Amino acid sequence: MSETTSHQIPGLTQKKVFKIIVLGDSGVGKTCLTYRFCEGQFLDKSEATIGVDFRERTILIRNEEIKLQLWDTAGQERFRKSMVQHYYRNVHAVVIVYDVTKPETFHSIVSWMQEVESHGLTNSPRVLVGNKCDCGTPESRLATTYAQRAADKYGMPLFETSALLDSECDNVESIFMTLAHKLYSKQPLRVVSVEGDQSYGVVTLPRHKSRAAPPPRDSCLCS
Amino acid sequence: MEFNNFDSATDDKSNLNGDCSPPPTKQAFDMNHTKNIDDISTPSELKFDEDFDFEDPEISEKRKEIERCIQNPDSVNLEKWQQFAKSKGGLISDDYRKVVWPLLVGVTQEEMTEPPSLDDLSTHGEYNQVVLDVNRSLKRFPPGIPYEQRVALQDQLTVLILRVIIKHPDLKYYQGYHDVAITLLLVCGDRASFPLLCRLSCGPRAPLQPFMQTTMAPTQHLLNYMLPVIRRADPDVADCLEKAQVGTMFALPWYLTWFGHSLNRYSDVVRLYDYFLCAPPLFPVYVTAAIVLHRGGEVLRCDCDMAMLHCLLSRLPDDLPFEDILVTAEKLYLENDPEVLEPEVAALERREAEVRRLDEERMKRRQAAARNRRNPPARRWPSLLKALSSRRALLATATVLLGVYVYYRPELLFIRHHEDTLGEL
Ligand SMILES: Nc1nc2c(ncn2[C@@H]2O[C@H](COP(=O)(O)OP(=O)(O)OP(=O)(O)O)[C@@H](O)[C@H]2O)c(=O)[nH]1
Ligand SMILES: [Mg+2]
Repeated sequence: MSETTSHQIPGLTQKKVFKIIVLGDSGVGKTCLTYRFCEGQFLDKSEATIGVDFRERTILIRNEEIKLQLWDTAGQERFRKSMVQHYYRNVHAVVIVYDVTKPETFHSIVSWMQEVESHGLTNSPRVLVGNKCDCGTPESRLATTYAQRAADKYGMPLFETSALLDSECDNVESIFMTLAHKLYSKQPLRVVSVEGDQSYGVVTLPRHKSRAAPPPRDSCLCS
Repeated sequence: MEFNNFDSATDDKSNLNGDCSPPPTKQAFDMNHTKNIDDISTPSELKFDEDFDFEDPEISEKRKEIERCIQNPDSVNLEKWQQFAKSKGGLISDDYRKVVWPLLVGVTQEEMTEPPSLDDLSTHGEYNQVVLDVNRSLKRFPPGIPYEQRVALQDQLTVLILRVIIKHPDLKYYQGYHDVAITLLLVCGDRASFPLLCRLSCGPRAPLQPFMQTTMAPTQHLLNYMLPVIRRADPDVADCLEKAQVGTMFALPWYLTWFGHSLNRYSDVVRLYDYFLCAPPLFPVYVTAAIVLHRGGEVLRCDCDMAMLHCLLSRLPDDLPFEDILVTAEKLYLENDPEVLEPEVAALERREAEVRRLDEERMKRRQAAARNRRNPPARRWPSLLKALSSRRALLATATVLLGVYVYYRPELLFIRHHEDTLGEL
């Protein structure tokens, strides 16, 4: 497996890849949201997700093409442990979705956050998304202020939106674009995809030698 | 329930940006690749009745023979039914399947009882999840089915599933079970499908039983037979899959639903069910292996990358030659009995456990690094800093230490390993 390093370099495709995992209870609309973002329309015959689905879309940030890989996971509890675990590898950002008309899906955020933390993603960019804003009456929907408090507590931005409404398309767009920009600006080094790379396409090289950050360990000596 | 009646056919827009951008070379699966399999807004994509003008004479002959047997069922033994179900074309038509499927699993007329009403079952703990999944199963119904009829069938489906898990409280519902249930329901009707589904779900050799345990670990284990089967037939393809660490997730819906969830053509689904109803429980995994082997060329041409491979494999082309695939799967099964594969599966699982362990270690390192950044070690070493109070001594020590450090780890100045970097994102 390591013998491939020499001919990997020509295969370098200079495209950044950001891997985003989408979590939340069953039926909150994870599949519809990722479909809306990747296909620009509402998926009117969505089906239960069994395991993990994958979608991707290429976006432009400062004229640079970025590949966003969205991993749409199954909400049912039983798929989480042994199955979905594998797909947390090298995840860069997290989207947690709840259904604004179903408070219990909001209360599950606690356990989703625990799961995120248990996979070492505490410092990764995360957003909280309240979906199905088109549904019910303002009184029947979970209050924004209430949701905002939880979002603040976890230090993540809150978006309330609807995968159904075409008028919300821009809002769905901004959820993923927010994450992409955050990842783009935060990345200290280049993330490029490499063909044939074992760790499935993510490797980092310093953008400029001079800007290569010193390893954290000796930061106390250099500063 | 709220969005059940979105039957309007919107344009089938296959977005360039969609699922996975099609790799430049391949033709065979391009169509399937650019189009999202989830999107069946054009009814033609789900093909129910295929009226062939021309029927293979072999099949016409088989048709006659099946009809003769159905007229005189007492003179026909199980082997004969199994032979029909397995051989080319399977049971051919749903009219025959309706009669033969119950016979294949040994369901009797007495077991086919009137179902209870939905209201009697709605207090069950899984009720909400089942209804959620049943409501999203529109794709599995014949297109153009009248609204009332479809809603009635969906209620029957919910009742069917709840009846089984109420009768067998140790069996846990999983998303995908509804895909099996609906296939049985559409073919056999609500009375026969209940004992049929019970047979498939409950009992030591019941094929769906491993899926219905508290965790998915037994299912995961059984899926792990796929790679060793592939390796024995085509080591290059197996290497590619293993190197990319694509795992078995792409095949999970295939196995859990006997392909009902993943195939667009109804006729393919029922054909496979003909076979699975009289095959060993692990046989669908061999079919999975046969499909991957059939697409081996595509696998080898694909970037050896987890995402790309998952994407390629999880979307099944519409034109898979299932008769050939079943023959291959049968051959694979005969040549590689599950028992013989056990050591290879165990070795694979050990390798995976090792990868997981390394992952976990890496994660802990990341977390520790993140903690250190928030809490720089310098602040925790005031005594050391006091000892080095002279500015000159400090500078000199720092220079020497840095020099020594770089001497041993020169690569750190230039290339940092990606995982640590990503941890900072
Ligand atoms: N009104 C409304 N319904 C929505 C919206 N998004 C999704 N839905 C519906 O909610 C149901 C569930 O949506 P999915 O996207 O399949 O849910 P999921 O989170 O992927 O569920 P699992 O795959 O089971 O984990 C479907 O019937 C959708 O049609 C929305 O914004 N508004
Ligand atoms: Mg889903």
